[in-house]
Amino acid sequence: MRFIFLVIMTVILVVFLNPVLPFWVIMILIGALAGLIGLKGAESFLAGGLGMGLAWLGQSLYISVSTGSPLPNRMGELMGLGSGMTLAGITAVLGFLLGGFSAMTGSLLRNLLMRKPDNLYRG
Amino acid sequence: MSVGRIRDSGKFAPSLYFQQMKYFSFFFVLAITIALAVAVSIPLGSIPPLAPLLDPNRGFWQNSISEDALAEDELVLDNLSAPVSVVYDQNLIPHIFAENDADLYRAQGYVTAQHRLWQMDFQTLAAAGRISEIVGPVALDLDRITRRKGLAFGAELGLKYLQENDPETLVLVEAYADGVNQYINQMDAASMPVEYKILNYKPEAWSAYKSLLLLKYMSDMLVGDRDLEYSNLRKILGQEMLDKLFPEFPTKVDPVIEVGKVWDFQPLPVVKPDSVNYPTDELVIDPLPQPAEGAGSNNWAVSGSKTKNGNPILANDPHLGLNLPSLWYSMQLTTPEHSAKGATLPGALGIISGFNQNIAWGVTNATKDARDWYKITFQDDSRKAYKYGNEWKTSTFRIEEIKVKGEDTYLDTVVYTHYGPVVYDRTFGANRQDVNFALRWTVHMGSNEQKTFMQLNKAKNHADYNEALNYYVAPAQNFVFASKSGDVAMRIQGKFPLKWKGQGKYFMDGSDPRMEWQGFIPNEQNASTLNPQRGFVSSANQHPTDSTYPYYVFDNSYEHYRNRRLNGKLTEMTGITVEDMKDLQFDDYYTLATEALPILMKLVGDSTVTDPKAKQYLEELKSWDFYADPNQKAPTLFFIWWNETHQNIWKSWKDFGAPVVTPNNYRTIELLLSEPDGAIFDLKSTASIETARDHVKSGFNQMVEKMKIWEDSEGDYSWANYKKTTIQHLVPQFSSFSVKNVYTGGGSGILNATSGRNGASWRMVVELGNEMTAFGIYPGGQSGNPGSKFYDNFIPIWANGDYLNFNLRTPDQEEGVLFKTTLKD
Repeated sequence: MRFIFLVIMTVILVVFLNPVLPFWVIMILIGALAGLIGLKGAESFLAGGLGMGLAWLGQSLYISVSTGSPLPNRMGELMGLGSGMTLAGITAVLGFLLGGFSAMTGSLLRNLLMRKPDNLYRG
Repeated sequence: MSVGRIRDSGKFAPSLYFQQMKYFSFFFVLAITIALAVAVSIPLGSIPPLAPLLDPNRGFWQNSISEDALAEDELVLDNLSAPVSVVYDQNLIPHIFAENDADLYRAQGYVTAQHRLWQMDFQTLAAAGRISEIVGPVALDLDRITRRKGLAFGAELGLKYLQENDPETLVLVEAYADGVNQYINQMDAASMPVEYKILNYKPEAWSAYKSLLLLKYMSDMLVGDRDLEYSNLRKILGQEMLDKLFPEFPTKVDPVIEVGKVWDFQPLPVVKPDSVNYPTDELVIDPLPQPAEGAGSNNWAVSGSKTKNGNPILANDPHLGLNLPSLWYSMQLTTPEHSAKGATLPGALGIISGFNQNIAWGVTNATKDARDWYKITFQDDSRKAYKYGNEWKTSTFRIEEIKVKGEDTYLDTVVYTHYGPVVYDRTFGANRQDVNFALRWTVHMGSNEQKTFMQLNKAKNHADYNEALNYYVAPAQNFVFASKSGDVAMRIQGKFPLKWKGQGKYFMDGSDPRMEWQGFIPNEQNASTLNPQRGFVSSANQHPTDSTYPYYVFDNSYEHYRNRRLNGKLTEMTGITVEDMKDLQFDDYYTLATEALPILMKLVGDSTVTDPKAKQYLEELKSWDFYADPNQKAPTLFFIWWNETHQNIWKSWKDFGAPVVTPNNYRTIELLLSEPDGAIFDLKSTASIETARDHVKSGFNQMVEKMKIWEDSEGDYSWANYKKTTIQHLVPQFSSFSVKNVYTGGGSGILNATSGRNGASWRMVVELGNEMTAFGIYPGGQSGNPGSKFYDNFIPIWANGDYLNFNLRTPDQEEGVLFKTTLKD
C-alpha cells in the first residue's frame, strides 16, 4: 500500500509542482516524501522512480499527442537520437533515475534519523 | 538493499558497525543522487544540460504548444496610458489597437517578443559581434569582422543622435524596449524559446540601442563594395582593359528612374584633383564577406491609367537570405490617427514595407558604392598618429572585448581615424605588416532611419512621404510609393557622398586630403520621379539613372535582367489587376537564358554532338520555353552549361593570386556576341589559341559530365530538385528546424528570384482604391517557435505563388479571429 501511495504521491507532486519548480527542487521534495512514507530503500527507489518516470513519460506523450507538434521529432533528429518517441523514452528513463535516487536518499535519511526509536522499542 | 536488512534485524544489539553502515549507505546514495542531478544540469561537451531540456514541464516539450492554445484574454503591460487591444487573425497576425503612439510601440515590442524573442536577441548579438559568447571560439573571426567594421560604433552614434536631436523618437524607441523587457520579465520557464534551452543561455534585456543596432545590421546585410578587387584589377589589367570589361554604363541600361528624366536642379560642384595617385600595393588581403549573390529586390507601382479599376497598384518583394524564423513579422498597427499594416522587422518600430489607409510604400536595395577605403600611413609602430597632408593627425583606439564561451576574453584593438575604423591591419586580414586601410562608410554617421519608417506609417500623401525619407541615411533604398489620390513615385534615398568620376572605385590614399568625399548630395537632388509619362515606376537593383544624372554613381552589382523583364512587362500591360501583379512577382521567365542560350547553341553546333545523353540534353534545351518553372528540366541544363562556360572564359584570372571579380554575365554575353574570336578569350597559359567556341564547347562537355553524375546519384534533375531551395534556421547546425527542398521555381536574375538560399523574403501587392485591397506572404510563419503550427505554415502558400488577405481590420470585426488579448496596466 505504502508503495503505491508513494508512486501516486510522486506523480501528483510532479504534475502539480514541477511546472513552477525546477527538477532539482522536485528531487528534494520526492526525497522528503519518501522519508515521510518510510519504505525500505529499494522499494523507495522503485516507487519514486516509477512515480517521476511515469509522470514524465505521460506528460511528454500527452503533449506530443495533444499538440501533434513536429518538435519532438525535430529535437530527436537534432540530438541524433532518432524520433520523438525515443526522446519520450529517454525522458522517462531520466525521470525514473532522478525520482528513484531522490526517493532512496530520502528513505535512507529517515533510516538514519529513526535510529533511536528502533533501538528503544524493537530491541 | 542490505541497508533494509540491517534495520529489520534490529533484535540484535546494534553495533557501531551497523551505525556506520547506515551513514555510509545514506551518504553513498546521496552522493550518487547529487552527482546525477549535477550531471544532468550541466552541459557535457556539445550536449546541452539534459534535465532542464527534457523536463516535460519546463523543457523543450512545452515548446510543442502553439500560441492559440496559450492564448490569454488579458495580460499585464505596465506603463500604458489606456488598454491596448490585440486581435490575432487565423494566421496569428496581430492587429494592435492603441490610443496613442507610445502605447502602440510598447505593445509592438511586447507582442513581437512573445513570438520572436530569440531571433531578436540573436540577430542583435550577431550585429554586436557577440556570437562567440554563445557558441565559443568558432565565431571569433566573424565577431572580429563585425566589430572592426564598426556596426556597434555606428549604433552608438545613432543613439547619441537621437538623444541630441530627436528625443520624441527616442521616447518611442524606449517604449518599444520596455515592452520587450516586460515580456522577458513575465516569461515563465516553459515558454522560454527552445533555442535558449538547447544553447543553454538566457535572453538579455532589450534597449533602444539594440533597435538601432538592428538597422545597422540591415545595412551590413545589403551593402558591399569591390574596391579591393577593382584595385587589383586596375593594377593587373590596366585602366583601359578594366573599362572595357567593366563598363560603368553598358549598352541598353534600363535604370530605376526612367530614361529621359529632366534633372531640374543646379548640381553642387565636385572637383576632381588634377592628379590622382592610387596606392600601388599588392593587395593580397582577405576581402570582407559580401552580400549574398541574389540579394536584391523588386518593387513597382502602376498608376490608375494602366489598371482595370483605375486605382494605383503597388508591389514589393525584397529578396534576402531565406531564413527561419523569418526576417519579417506581419502586423497591423493602429491608433486613432493612423492604421498601417505590412511587414515589420522584429526589433524595429513600425511597419517597414506596407500600407495605411492612404498610401502604400515598399523598398528595394539601392546598391551604390557606399563604402570606401583609405590607405593609412602611421607615424610609427604605436599607430597614435597618421599622415594627413603635411601634418600628423591623432588616431583613437577602441578596445573590443569579445567574450568567448569556455575561453578567456579576447581583446581586439581597433584604431579609428577620422575616416573610420582601420579594418585591415597587421592583426587582421592583411598579410603585410605595413598595410593599413580605414573604412569610410555612411553607417558610421549619426542618423535616424527609425523616424523615416514611423513617419511613413502615418503618411497621407506624397509630401509626407518625401518628408519622411529625408531622415533616411543607410542602407540606401529605392522607396516606391503610391497613394489613394492617384500618385505613384520612386525616390532613391540614402546619404550619398559627392564623388568625382571614379572616386571610391579603388582604394585611395588617406594621407592625401584631396581624396576626401567632398560633401553629400542634397536630399532634394537624390534621383526621384513622380507620375512619369510611362504610367509606372519600378526598381530591381539596377542602375539608378541613365548617364545624364549629374553626379557620379557606381556599383559593381547592378542588375541587368530582372529590371528589363519588369519594365518590358509593365510597359506592354494595360487593364492591370491585382492578380496580374501577383503573377508578375511569381514570374519565372529566365531572361539571361533567352539571351545566352541561342549563342551557346550556335557556338557548340549540334552536328558535333554524338553522345546520346548529350543529344537528349540538347533536345530538351531546344524545346524549352525559357521559363524556370519547378518541373522544367532545361533550366538545370542551361544553368550548369552557362556557369561552366563563364568560369572557363575567366579561369585564368584565378592565377592572378589576388582577390578579383570577373566580368558579369551581361558583359560576358556581349563579348561572346561581338568578338567571339577576340584575344580576350585566349588563355595565355596554353600554346594554342582559344576562342569563345572552345569555352562554350568545354562548358557543354562539363555540363554533360555533371548531369550524368547527378542523374546517377539523384535521378531527377528538374529545376526545383536541382536548386533545392532551403529556408534555413538562423543556426545552420539546427538543420531539423530548417525547411528543405521547397518545390518552387525562379532563380537569380529572374523576377521570382528564388534560388537555393535567397529569394522573395516578403511579397506584397496593394490596390489603392477607396478601401485598400492588400495581399501579402512570406516564406515562414508568424511564430519563431519550431514547435508551433505557425512556424512554417506560410511556406507552402508562398512556394505556390499564393497570398494571404492583408486587408486592414477594425477592432470589432469578428470573422477570422483566432483570439483576442487585452493588454492592461
